[in-house]
Amino acid sequence: MKPLPPTLRTKKRYILAGIEPPGAGVDQKDLYYAITDAVTSLFGDVRAAAISPAVISSGPDYVIVRCTRGGEQDLRIALSTVIAAGDGRIVLRPRATSGTLHALRRKLPQERPAEPEHPAEVHFGGRRYDARRFQVQKVDLMEKGIKSQELLFLTQDDLEEL
Amino acid sequence: MTVADACIHPYPEGDSSLRRMAVEAGELGFDSIVVPDGGSLISSGVRIIPAVLIVEESVRAVSGQLRKRGDGQSLVMVNAGENGFNRAVLNLKGVHVLRNLHLTRKQSFNHICARQAADRGVAIDLDLYPVIHAAGRTRQRVLVRFGELIRLYSRYRFPLTISSNARSVLDLRSVEEITLLCSLFGMEEDDVQAALATAGGLLNPPGPVKVVP
Repeated sequence: MKPLPPTLRTKKRYILAGIEPPGAGVDQKDLYYAITDAVTSLFGDVRAAAISPAVISSGPDYVIVRCTRGGEQDLRIALSTVIAAGDGRIVLRPRATSGTLHALRRKLPQERPAEPEHPAEVHFGGRRYDARRFQVQKVDLMEKGIKSQELLFLTQDDLEEL
Repeated sequence: MTVADACIHPYPEGDSSLRRMAVEAGELGFDSIVVPDGGSLISSGVRIIPAVLIVEESVRAVSGQLRKRGDGQSLVMVNAGENGFNRAVLNLKGVHVLRNLHLTRKQSFNHICARQAADRGVAIDLDLYPVIHAAGRTRQRVLVRFGELIRLYSRYRFPLTISSNARSVLDLRSVEEITLLCSLFGMEEDDVQAALATAGGLLNPPGPVKVVP
């Protein structure tokens, strides 16, 4: 089959967004569902179909989302309303928009934030938490347990004051 | 010109410490955050503006709280109510911000309230929390309400503030994201910039130069 000439193909835009908290370990399929749900909830089925969001690739701390040209602003708004993916709470921070994947991949940070070190055990408010440190001063605490684990966001100074 | 998030709730109300909130807010482009019952300080280069949150149903109770808790150093924020309540609160000396208007009835803030707010320099807060976290009819109602407020704002130019009401660092949004979210209810980029700058100047409004002996 003869491929469609480039001038007749639908123009695409690609958005690079950061995923927080780092190390959330979100599945790409969960990300896709979270993003499409956000777009549909905010703009409705008709606009969502016109935007056609699709997750192209994702890593531990970033996701690249594709949309049709002209839909990038609405997609960025919808990305701001994503509050969870799968079972975990996340936030997507749009960082860059580009017309080609090649250009966008060059915008990926060369030095990724360091992977959280091996979690250390911390006692806070009478509960036991796993502490993950990153970017020098940030410390995320995840309560030890099987279900409904509490997540706390502190700094190194807060831990030293305990 | 300051860029301030007009209300956040750190630990123990939320799940993030004040220091962590300040670090994240700084990274997201803010230089000030308003914290109810917080202390006036600077953390990680971000100015913490203390605030007093008054949630009362009668004007007399609000006056009482103002006398008791209004120290002149904190931003006084009052939760809105019915039209009569709002008009009375807007006339009280020492009130800086009227908030939660999206939870009140449609006619609770009309053109008379808008003119009063503009005359007295009382800011109206736009809470983005339901825009981000709610869905369906609830979010639609909030967007309609904010659209009406923006229509009044474009006529009377009363001060506006924008708050995320974040209880977690995951609830905070960057200045650019806030600008995009505000476009959902017809707010222009310049108006968003002005609204983000309002909270920093409410405690020290510009006025005539006073000679201090």
